[in-house]
Amino acid sequence: MSSILDRVAGLGRSGLGVVEAIGRSGIFLFQALAGRSRYGNGFSLLLKQLYSVGVLSLAIIIVSGIFIGMVLALQGYNILKDYGSEQAVGQMVALTLLRELGPVVTALLFAGRAGSALTAEIGLMKATEQLSSLEMIGVDPLKYIVAPRLWAGFIAMPLLAMIFCVVGIWGGAMVAVDWLGVYGGSYWGNMENSVQFGADVLNGLIKAVVFAVVVTWIAVFQGYDCDPTSEGISRATTRTVVYASLAVLGLDFILTALMF
Amino acid sequence: MLETADLIVDLQQVTFTRGERTILNNVDIRIPRGKITGIMGPSGCGKTTLLRLIGAQLKPDSGRILVNGQDIPRLGREELFDARQHMGMLFQSGALFTDLNVFENVAFPLRVHTHLPEDMIRDIVLLKLQAVGLRGAINLMPDELSGGMKRRVALARAIALDPELMMYDEPFVGQDPISMGVLVRLIRLLNDALGVTSIVVSHDLSETASIADYLYVLGDGQVLGHGRPDELMNSENPRIRQFMQGEPDGPVPFHFPAGNYVDDLLQKERQP
Amino acid sequence: MRTRNLELTVGLFILAGLLALLILALRVSGLTLSPNGSTYTVYAHFDNVSGLTSRSKVTMAGVTIGQVKSITFDKNRYTGLVEMAINSDVNTLPSDSTASIVTAGLLGEKYIGISVGGDDMVLRDGDEIHDTQSALVLEELIGRFLLNTVSKDD
Repeated sequence: MSSILDRVAGLGRSGLGVVEAIGRSGIFLFQALAGRSRYGNGFSLLLKQLYSVGVLSLAIIIVSGIFIGMVLALQGYNILKDYGSEQAVGQMVALTLLRELGPVVTALLFAGRAGSALTAEIGLMKATEQLSSLEMIGVDPLKYIVAPRLWAGFIAMPLLAMIFCVVGIWGGAMVAVDWLGVYGGSYWGNMENSVQFGADVLNGLIKAVVFAVVVTWIAVFQGYDCDPTSEGISRATTRTVVYASLAVLGLDFILTALMF
Repeated sequence: MLETADLIVDLQQVTFTRGERTILNNVDIRIPRGKITGIMGPSGCGKTTLLRLIGAQLKPDSGRILVNGQDIPRLGREELFDARQHMGMLFQSGALFTDLNVFENVAFPLRVHTHLPEDMIRDIVLLKLQAVGLRGAINLMPDELSGGMKRRVALARAIALDPELMMYDEPFVGQDPISMGVLVRLIRLLNDALGVTSIVVSHDLSETASIADYLYVLGDGQVLGHGRPDELMNSENPRIRQFMQGEPDGPVPFHFPAGNYVDDLLQKERQP
Repeated sequence: MRTRNLELTVGLFILAGLLALLILALRVSGLTLSPNGSTYTVYAHFDNVSGLTSRSKVTMAGVTIGQVKSITFDKNRYTGLVEMAINSDVNTLPSDSTASIVTAGLLGEKYIGISVGGDDMVLRDGDEIHDTQSALVLEELIGRFLLNTVSKDD
């Protein structure tokens, strides 16, 4: 009997812990983004982070994009064939990528590659007391270390999502037109007719931006908040990938319901 | 014995808790200017917390922390920024910035707090590195340095702005005898030649006692005793005695609290 | 030197992303940069507009000559009122032309096909096409088919 009460109390405690963590992360985000760094060339710091977070993720994004586009075209063709609508494969690939897979898959890949790297990097800085050193010298680590990484994520991920969509559509074209024999004109023509800039491309971009904010925020916060030990860092890295992925999928549903 | 007029750091009735643990309970600590003061005690007694309180990384629950007359926890951001210019801290692991090379690491505080031209910065960096004996390593990256070298570079960085107060967090942990000797010599040198006040937090008795002018022994969130090293060695207080003499059992017990020994053994026999 | 490389690569990356956006905008979604002002409005009433949406194509002889601007319910005539924007340079449509709602393929979208009439007068801004053919509804088709089959058996 008392063990049930204990469990409930434990649940309540962890629930409160979650709420506290969310509050901490909110304050963290605000303090990192508000105001400018006293020291440090903000632009060159941002540049460096854009490189490590954006450019270095290009490889996985492009390869995944091409493959997913190809699979979409392949599967789409097989399904549409039964209805005599193979020419619609172009718009199917494009709409699926732009509305859903582009932002979502990019966000998930980003969380796994760049997000976990950010968490580990910041966590390691915390564990080796580099963040404390910065404070002692008088530099706010939130502005010097965290903020550039946040902005880099906000900027890089939507760009990556757009690139993902384009290479995906191109990969789909390779399969549909060159391999499966769908008429090139139909592929691109139907696509152009049914894809709307406002409803599809822009909404996909908005999704990508929302995901970018959420994923980068989680990644950076987990690193900053972690236990400064090696297990602490590895736990934080895992948490980043799990929480970010769940958040992206959940938000995707909400945004899709709102937008489409 | 202790001139209260010339204190560089004055902790007055400082209490600090973390969660349910009281780490410091109404402690008074006075650090004299120009001397090397050692803060010692068993692990977890709050030594590192003390340094962080002085450096304003943590705020006390109550009490005043005066550094050079300024109440540190209550300073505004601008004033704190200026105050930090006069404090240097050497962290346990060195804490060099891993993405910058040795030169940039040492130059970092200079770039943050001053607007000196590049060649002046270079001169100062060379000077500091020469003082710690690592001028030749100026272009290396931190991961190319040994542990002892990292710590020396970190020391060079900590003294880049010629602070009045230097704080050393467990500087002797895990050092081989040569590195130990180097470090001890440097701490002594800085203190004698440059008049830098030093606070050394450590649980290494022999090294700390050998260089400290004055010692504080902490335990259980309290100051157990303070005085010159030779005074404390002969202290009557059993807890200070246990620490100073390195006795394995005493006020800090050898056995972790447990039930009856015989009962434990018998229970084991009954379980299949 | 290293910063120069860095800046270059990051700049290229950002350019690639923006280029992707541009491609998506222009090639994939067919966003046209030409102004929409060069159209004139033509109305048509349909008994059934099911499947037609705004921005659907308006074609003639298979060539797109305009777009559906809006679809509203006409309370007086109990029909669907479709407002079309026809390109201004297609200004020789006879006023007795027919507008039909047709399907592109079995699962395709609905669009409006205009068949040419023979009148001398042409449609102008604000005119109405009177001869219309509504969308084919699958259930009616099936019903008609069954009816035909039954009557054949008699």
